[in-house]
Amino acid sequence: MRRLPANLLIGAVLVALVVGFAALSLVWTPHPEGVLNIRGKFAPPSGIYWLGTDQLGRDLVTQLMAGARNSMTVALIAVMLGGSIGTFLGLLASAIGGWIEDLVMRIADISFAFPTLLFAIMLAAVLGPSLQNAVLAIAFINIPVFARVSRAAANQIWTREYVFAARAAGMGRFAISRDHILPNIAAPVIVQATIEFAVAILAEAALSYLGLGAQPPASSWGRMLSEAQTLMYLAPQLALWPGLCIVVAVLGFGLLGDGLRDVTDPRLARQR
Amino acid sequence: MIETRDLSVGFGAAQALRSIALTIRPGARIGVVGESGSGKSMLGLSLMGMTPDAARVSGSLTIDGHQMIAAAEDDWRPLRARRVAMIFQEPMAALNPLKRVGDIVAEPLQVHENLGREAAQSRALDLFREVGLPDPEARLRQFPHELSGGQRQRVLIALALACDPDLLIADEPTTALDANVALRVTELLVDLSQQRNMALMFISHDLTAVARATSDLLVLYGGTVVEQGPTDQVLANPRHPYTQGLLAARPRAQALRAGGTRRRLPTIPGTVPPLDLLPAGCRFAGRCPLELPHCAGTIPPMVDGAACHLLVGGAP
Repeated sequence: MRRLPANLLIGAVLVALVVGFAALSLVWTPHPEGVLNIRGKFAPPSGIYWLGTDQLGRDLVTQLMAGARNSMTVALIAVMLGGSIGTFLGLLASAIGGWIEDLVMRIADISFAFPTLLFAIMLAAVLGPSLQNAVLAIAFINIPVFARVSRAAANQIWTREYVFAARAAGMGRFAISRDHILPNIAAPVIVQATIEFAVAILAEAALSYLGLGAQPPASSWGRMLSEAQTLMYLAPQLALWPGLCIVVAVLGFGLLGDGLRDVTDPRLARQR
Repeated sequence: MIETRDLSVGFGAAQALRSIALTIRPGARIGVVGESGSGKSMLGLSLMGMTPDAARVSGSLTIDGHQMIAAAEDDWRPLRARRVAMIFQEPMAALNPLKRVGDIVAEPLQVHENLGREAAQSRALDLFREVGLPDPEARLRQFPHELSGGQRQRVLIALALACDPDLLIADEPTTALDANVALRVTELLVDLSQQRNMALMFISHDLTAVARATSDLLVLYGGTVVEQGPTDQVLANPRHPYTQGLLAARPRAQALRAGGTRRRLPTIPGTVPPLDLLPAGCRFAGRCPLELPHCAGTIPPMVDGAACHLLVGGAP
């Protein structure tokens, strides 16, 4: 078997770490979530509080784990929601063609003119600050991305002879899209989903940082960052750890997505 | 019954098919031969309403009396697989690599006959038996890459037969197969045609296979029918210079070693010109060894199944 690229392996390890961290919080955290201990605030790392406590005496490890869980949940729902709608639109555009395809793709092009994060912030601001709206905003910015990727991949598959054979067997455009096109564009769509997962984590952190995402008392890396900001000189470690978590998660999914693309895209494989 | 009258397919100024008249009766086995670019495949595609989007199709094409010449994709769809089905040259390319072959064959049954998954799978199993796939139960669950070339072509034949078509168009079905397998696939197609009283259009440039598989023959050149008639008659006594050239170019073991020395295989001089540079009259003008001055300018009439100016007036 060919050696797997380094970015795939490193990405997979980082992702496993973050996802494992998030999954563990479902069954176990070092301390109960959301328990305050005002007298024990700003505690240094110790056997009881491994990374110390924050300004309200909450255990930092517990907070980070809950933040990981929230971050993963938001990213998963948002990418799945935006990804399915986008992929559906891309398949539809490719199946119908003509002016409908042009219309869908030009709308996607227009939406690319807006910086992704700014657009999500605008949407979340319009919809009102809540975690659900953050999810919707992140899902929304994913729609054009997936529409474009799936439509480009689908257009390639439409030229294949087995699609022609399916047409000759009397299958309609939509049945062919479902039965033949979709399974064959799964690889690029999954790669894109992994990369967008990283973008979604970053977007969620940014929205929460601005107060447009997770609301107290829910934990979120972004919100931990913004709360730690005012205490930078007093307790810099409070900003360090959630920042590091965001870096690891975003880097992990980004590398994993790149690695998967290297493995699944034969054109890139040949260039190496 | 499928009938074409004056069927033409054009791309801009170029004509891929010109005035094809053809009647396909139930159970007929029609061979279509000609060089690459002679319009063989285009003829097959036009009978399925699957010519490329840019093609202009004109004339008359009736399927069971329904005029299909300007029919939309949605009007064609119910006819495909049920009236006209097709198998292809490259069985590997014509099978979705990610789907089990049982599902590939079951799909049109689910679409056209409204069968459930189970019923469609069991029909697929019957079809696999009919096309002679070994161990058909196990085949249902296999992927295309797990089958041999001949087995893949049998799967495609099963797919084409799924909805019991009146006409099966086989577009060079044996070109990608080795000789022995090709022979058996050809025999299978003939058997199926006879058992089901299904018409077969056998498109090929393998004259031996055509001679074995078909009862009638259509010789195409430059998008026109240059000769047609009963297969054995045309092959035994070709009347059009192009058919004569095509038959002379056939490799034969005895002829090659005539007189103890190897002889060069005769060829038709030149190559098929691009569609838009074909002569307006007889398409074969310019390459024909027996060309008359007026051949390139006027369309030759069909005389007893051969379209040639030389045959006008009864003097061959």
